Amino acid sequence: MPPQAALVNLSPAELSFLRSTLSQTPPLRLDVTKGPRDFRSMRAEYDVLPSANGSARIALEDGTEALVGVKAEVEKTPQTPVLGEQDDVDMSNGDEHSDGKGQGQNAWVQVGVDVPGFRDDDALPVFLASMLAESLLASGELKDRLYINRRFHWKLYIDILLLSPPLSYPLGLLSMTTHLALLTTHIPSLKSEKDEDPLFDDDWDAASPLYPKSTSKSSARDKPPVIILAIAVGPNIIFDPAKEELAVADAVLAIACTTSSSSSTGAKIVSIRTIDPPSHLTPPAVPNSMNSATGGTAPDSSAQALTMREMLATSGVWTPPRGGMKRGLVSQVTKMVVEKGGVAEEIIGALAGIETG
Amino acid sequence: MATNMDRRRNNAPSGGTHAPVFARTLREPEYLQTLRPTRARGQNELRRIYLQTGIVPSASGSAYLEIPSSTSISSSTLIKPASSLKIVASIQGPKPLPRSAPFSPSLLLTTTVKFAPFATRQRRGYIRDSTERDLGVHLETALRGVIIGERWPKSGVEVVLTILEGDEDGWWGDAHASGSGWGLLNVLAGCITVASAAITDAGIDCVDMVCGGVAALVRNPDSKDGKDLIKILDPCPVEHRDIVAACAVGYLASRDEVTEIWMKGDVGSDPDALIEGATHASVGSLSVVKEVLLESLQAKFQKQIENSQGAQKRKAEDVEMTG
Repeated sequence: MPPQAALVNLSPAELSFLRSTLSQTPPLRLDVTKGPRDFRSMRAEYDVLPSANGSARIALEDGTEALVGVKAEVEKTPQTPVLGEQDDVDMSNGDEHSDGKGQGQNAWVQVGVDVPGFRDDDALPVFLASMLAESLLASGELKDRLYINRRFHWKLYIDILLLSPPLSYPLGLLSMTTHLALLTTHIPSLKSEKDEDPLFDDDWDAASPLYPKSTSKSSARDKPPVIILAIAVGPNIIFDPAKEELAVADAVLAIACTTSSSSSTGAKIVSIRTIDPPSHLTPPAVPNSMNSATGGTAPDSSAQALTMREMLATSGVWTPPRGGMKRGLVSQVTKMVVEKGGVAEEIIGALAGIETG
Repeated sequence: MATNMDRRRNNAPSGGTHAPVFARTLREPEYLQTLRPTRARGQNELRRIYLQTGIVPSASGSAYLEIPSSTSISSSTLIKPASSLKIVASIQGPKPLPRSAPFSPSLLLTTTVKFAPFATRQRRGYIRDSTERDLGVHLETALRGVIIGERWPKSGVEVVLTILEGDEDGWWGDAHASGSGWGLLNVLAGCITVASAAITDAGIDCVDMVCGGVAALVRNPDSKDGKDLIKILDPCPVEHRDIVAACAVGYLASRDEVTEIWMKGDVGSDPDALIEGATHASVGSLSVVKEVLLESLQAKFQKQIENSQGAQKRKAEDVEMTG
């Protein structure tokens, strides 16, 4: 059994108190100065690793800290046998295949996540790595940009390190750090032409950004995705939960989104996953009516205990939540994320601000 | 792959194990395209589902799911045109945790999803790789919300799923399709359905039956510019060239809740339609699960019913004699 991530040791009474404060309107969060849509403050810097193509470090106020390095290496593309007419390697000046549209492969991006206290094959790092990788690959534009020519491509290694123990669920932090690192990643500019062996400009100032800045003001710049964590407590939706807030959540949703130039809304979704809320593992409380020490009567049989427990449902005594997430709630969360001026736009704008200013 | 090597066995070569196609034997290059399978079903039509419970006698609950491919296999080629899905689920427990384990206030759920080495065109190793572990996490999320764990403190249950045949990520002729992971969504939906049937067979308390379903957005192959998208239920990735986005859900029909969503691809700004499509697909598989469970329950208690009827008859005769 792998160690549980960010399991808190709160008593049933504390859990019940936390839940009731979070489910009132407006919700009262653990940090009382924050509203349901506020994120924790952070310190961020980029280009911290001189030997990587792009890097970033973000530290949250609770002490969790993540470091991401992006490295690109030239790799040979395995040639697949082509049926029919075999076209020769192209050394001429024709400009077909030059943009690499639709040529990219999923294997060209490799994401590795290292969380202290977890083995590489534990559930948490595997889950984090696959969610980050699939949101990066969803649009297909990133992998097309890694295409050099028909014989060579860039292989992108994204290595994500959590420097502190996972004090809260680290998905949001890791994705924001990855976003910042990819935003500042530069790839040496190509000097060779067409299908020649690639030769690169050794001037670092001439390197082109992996996510190019848009030339015109009107079209939004293509950005790497960012993953936003949201929890539902009763009717309320709370973003960027702390560890204790996560422990009383009814449902947890991770939404990966990126800016969109085409649609009318502020962002588009590239991936959604539900996360098992840790509240399912919390111990149920024993009410006074079932405790002989507090004047109640202890149940005689297990069947009677079961019935008495089922009748407690709305009495405010802590019971771990059951079932899943209402469908209406899911669409409400996604709407809050993607709408114009929504959470996604806010986060992506804030991270872009770090890079430019 | 080297890290995933099992050193206690003679391993097969780490490449694919598919039958070779000799380019020389093909007269014209377009011939291969004629082998591409196409979707014969309607947009909202699911594949047929075969389900049976109680197939592993030593397990406390078990089930077998099979979704056969709808396209008929042509005899002219060695390569199977479409893929199908075959999953076995078995439940061990609930059983007490070992003495060395720390106290747990609720049922500890362990999910293990493993592809058989021969399940897909690309051979899988004996040790679980990251996609299989990821599927295990998804399945655990889907089941954890359904099981009422607080009724079994200090105990654990193991859900073991073996995939005998898995859906492919795309047609074997499309190079770009391999590694895209669209087939995994179908596998997950199948895993959720079959695990839920096995858990019910094991008699573990649940709030509802959770069932898996998949919906996808694909580019319409008939359209001119390929821009317009159509929503299809239960996609077979082999039959579609361009899948834009897909979603698998674990759906509780009677509570109208989802315990698991796995959506990926270029969804756009409104994922509701895709989620709704996936829930429709899961309602389809729920109807099959319900029928099968009812059948197995009847078979299980047939003897008891007969015995009790026999007893009633004797009693009735007794009454007649005294009266």
